[in-house]
Amino acid sequence: MKSFSERVRIQGRSLWSRNAVKGTSLRGERLTRDGRKEWRQWNPRTSKLGSALLKASESGLLPDPGSTCLYLGSGHGTTISHLHDHLCASKNHLEGTIVAVDISPRCIRDIIRLSNTRPGILPVLADCRQTEYIAPFLSAKVPWLFQDVSQSGQVEMFIEVCHRFLAAGGTGLLSLKSASERETDGAFEKAEDALVEAGFTLVERIDLAGWEYQHVLFHVVL
Amino acid sequence: MKGRMTTEARTLSIRFPEAMVIPPTSVDSWPELSSDEITLLQEATVKLAEQSVADAASNPDTRLEHLVQATEEIRASHNTLESRLVEWVGIFLPSLDLDQNRNVIVNAVVNSSDLVGVSNHLGVTVAEVEMGHKEWSSLQSLATSVTNLSGDVQRMEESVRVLANIHLPSLSLLLGPLLAAKLCSTAHGRARLARLPAGTIQVLGAEKSLFMHLRQGTDPPKHGHIFQHSWVCRSPKSTRGPIARMLASKAAIAVRSDHFGGEPWTSKQVAQVEQKVGEIRTRRKGVMK
Repeated sequence: MKSFSERVRIQGRSLWSRNAVKGTSLRGERLTRDGRKEWRQWNPRTSKLGSALLKASESGLLPDPGSTCLYLGSGHGTTISHLHDHLCASKNHLEGTIVAVDISPRCIRDIIRLSNTRPGILPVLADCRQTEYIAPFLSAKVPWLFQDVSQSGQVEMFIEVCHRFLAAGGTGLLSLKSASERETDGAFEKAEDALVEAGFTLVERIDLAGWEYQHVLFHVVL
Repeated sequence: MKGRMTTEARTLSIRFPEAMVIPPTSVDSWPELSSDEITLLQEATVKLAEQSVADAASNPDTRLEHLVQATEEIRASHNTLESRLVEWVGIFLPSLDLDQNRNVIVNAVVNSSDLVGVSNHLGVTVAEVEMGHKEWSSLQSLATSVTNLSGDVQRMEESVRVLANIHLPSLSLLLGPLLAAKLCSTAHGRARLARLPAGTIQVLGAEKSLFMHLRQGTDPPKHGHIFQHSWVCRSPKSTRGPIARMLASKAAIAVRSDHFGGEPWTSKQVAQVEQKVGEIRTRRKGVMK
């Protein structure tokens, strides 16, 4: 058994997070009990962060429990819920905050429902490129930032957002799908060069092959 | 500076011109929040998000898109079910002309109590088959669904017309509300349609043949959805390309005046376009001779 934190661990070949809302499974994930603790399976097929945890060789992918995170491209909230397990725990007694930004009203309404049972999640309906609409929800620069927006120009977007919102020494994670860029060939190499040039230190380039098609997660530190 | 301000901040800075504007994107200078304030922020954020999700419902583009797609889907299922019904009834009524009597057949099945009743209604002979009650009632319920669906199509088209006339008045006047709505939903919204070049509007809906052209070098499409307009589809084949091109450029102007709050088109402008259509038709006739 390998542990990433008190609340996220690998058991056998699968990834588990300690369920912050006991007895509820969000999308039919398996739940197992271990004494008073309940663990919820984290499916790497529906979560790029989950698959990156399984494939990464460097540590430091997850934020410190109780900190504030900015999550751009929240989607329907699968990853957010596991991140909440880790960061906020039951009834947010760790006092963590996840600012979940998405452009789609359909996704944000799912996040709103999620935030009813999981305090600490702040749903924000905004375009990630319009940083002035995100800033009011942050009281300081964040130590951890994740971006998964699947649209063209996402590397430039990531660099701009990180310079505005990521604290010095903070962790930035960029999930990149080569098919989202206009030129698919060499998209990953180009992105890597752009990130290094923008002043990031590349910790690891995690290829998500096996879980996601043509996806890479860049783990950088500002 | 002004460009990076929220709408609210912009209104405030007009009201209080002497106030200093701090760019909202800098998050360094904020005081740390107490735990009460964090709870407050959480509640306020959820309220704001609920509000913004509710605001999305007022977007006519998404409503129009649902309406247009639903109409398409209902029409498609109406067509399949109707032809299934006609063929099904047809095997029992061997002497019936199935192509001439399509509408009558559906009504006859709905209003009869058995197969003989249908044949009397249509005035044809019936095949010597034993048909169970269950089979007849399933046949009749299919016919009822077909009539209901055709009513649904009418109703939906009517509401598409109403919404398109409000949302796209000029474009609806030029192309008809149904075609205007279809173009708008294919372009994913009026905002995007208003920014498309006329050449793209011309081939909206002909994506398959356009990409065939780009990939394999086949002939480019002359028209997409715009073909449905009677000025295009009722014109001789050789004039359809030029007419579609001209009509698309006029449509681009019309949708821009709709979106950017220009003066709505009147029948005067539409008449001018119609005159141009006539000119193209006669000019081409000259070329042919």
